[in-house]
Amino acid sequence: MSSSPAFELAGVQVNLGGRPVLDSLDLRFVAGDMVALIGPSGAGKTTLLRVLNGVIAPSRGHLKMFGQNPADLAEARRRHLRADVGFVHQDHSLVPNLRVLQNVVAGGLGHRGFWSSLRLMIRPVRADLMRAHQLLERVGIGDRMYHRTDSLSGGQQQRVALARALFQSPHALLADEPVSAVDPARARDMIALLTTLAKEEGWTLIASLHDVALAREFFPRLVALREGKVAFDGPPQDLTESAAEAIYRLDG
Amino acid sequence: MAKAPAIPPAPLTPSRRTTILFGLALVAVLSFLALGLQWGQLLPHGGGVEIAGNFFAAAVQPAFTYEGSDFLPADAPAFLLKVGLALWRTLLYAVAAISLALVLGAVFGVLASEGFWQGRRGGAAVRLAVRWFMAVLRSVHELIWALLFLAAIGLSPAAAVMAIALPYGGTLAKVFAEMLDESSPAAANALHGLGARPLQVFLFGRLPRALADIAAYAFYRFECAVRSSAVLGFFGYTTLGLYIRQSFENLHYREVWAYLYALLLLVLALEAWSSQIRRRFVA
Repeated sequence: MSSSPAFELAGVQVNLGGRPVLDSLDLRFVAGDMVALIGPSGAGKTTLLRVLNGVIAPSRGHLKMFGQNPADLAEARRRHLRADVGFVHQDHSLVPNLRVLQNVVAGGLGHRGFWSSLRLMIRPVRADLMRAHQLLERVGIGDRMYHRTDSLSGGQQQRVALARALFQSPHALLADEPVSAVDPARARDMIALLTTLAKEEGWTLIASLHDVALAREFFPRLVALREGKVAFDGPPQDLTESAAEAIYRLDG
Repeated sequence: MAKAPAIPPAPLTPSRRTTILFGLALVAVLSFLALGLQWGQLLPHGGGVEIAGNFFAAAVQPAFTYEGSDFLPADAPAFLLKVGLALWRTLLYAVAAISLALVLGAVFGVLASEGFWQGRRGGAAVRLAVRWFMAVLRSVHELIWALLFLAAIGLSPAAAVMAIALPYGGTLAKVFAEMLDESSPAAANALHGLGARPLQVFLFGRLPRALADIAAYAFYRFECAVRSSAVLGFFGYTTLGLYIRQSFENLHYREVWAYLYALLLLVLALEAWSSQIRRRFVA
């Protein structure tokens, strides 16, 4: 089970605005992989995560999510694939004027029909309520369940986004710069929480990080992107200081 | 100490913004000239001085009883009761009209918004048709709608309500659609990414973000509807406008002011109520 592929990219190229953002990527992530995506701004990290989420289709090459190529599927099946992938966005992407509870249970929308989702969002049944509370407890903000989301701090909203992903019960979690907006101590806490949850849930975790030291400390595999290409793929001990510097070099 | 780098030279041509501002000012002046405006006419002269004096003097002593009771029918209600009833009917017409307009605005505003059609087919054609239809509704002012209805079916409360509801519905739909599309798409995109259907994305990702703005704007339009309802009285509907016109024609200025102050009180009360609700939305 641990070696079944969660994501496979073969020759994936993505063109945005007429230029390639990702260029002939060949990558494979197996179930339970914990990967930090590193590389300079504009290297294509966010785009790669969006491709893995199934919301951007490759211009060339193909992607397999859990063994299926979304491009071959009808939209309904593609939605189900997306429902199996959690995503923690850099800007949290929550609805600020809804309660924390509603943002958390929104994670379940992919698995619900219309009436069931109305019920879920407006007056969740006891089981959903208990689950939402339990997940909020797990990310450390159980007491904020009925607060308006925009009354929480940035770090707490990040945790709401994480609870939403947990409510989704995905097979994989993608996180785009999950600690870009918090101080170093909180950043460490957040990454520790993410990796712990990933282990407990058996997720494939792929997180983009600008902090290479954090990436080295918490992730057994690093993938570095530079100008849309893979510049490094391996365990942190194989990434030499000079190689790391070359990845972030300003020229070229 | 290192020499400070030279400041780059500022562009010598006037900036685009300045040009546009001068252009707009020029258009204003040209329109004044074309109309042959003479501001001096705003000041009353000759016999007008006395009339204007009387009218504004009445402002500080609005009527509480009928002015000049010579021609009053025996069964006329007390003056303040008459004012109250006119105000009540003005409010009733406004409530009926804005309720219909909100239904129109909600349905067509959603259909005209880009967000609603994300991930669906057929959006472009429907949106274009709806936007044209709404433009037709609101390009005709409520007073002209009232005139059209008056010509077609005569004086009827339903006609008065429709006269306000149609152009207001068109305006609400346009503004609602813009508010839906201008709210941040981040949450909607996230819900799409976690497998939600287009309708779920719209209902739970887009709509809640725009709801506070939509409610505030709906309140503002309600206030406008109260004024429109009052003015429809000029056509014979039994709202404030009818009595303002009658009192005005009888030169009973103090009665006119009583009606105007009543309208002002109603609008202020609505404003207080709406700002209270807005605070609840924002807090």
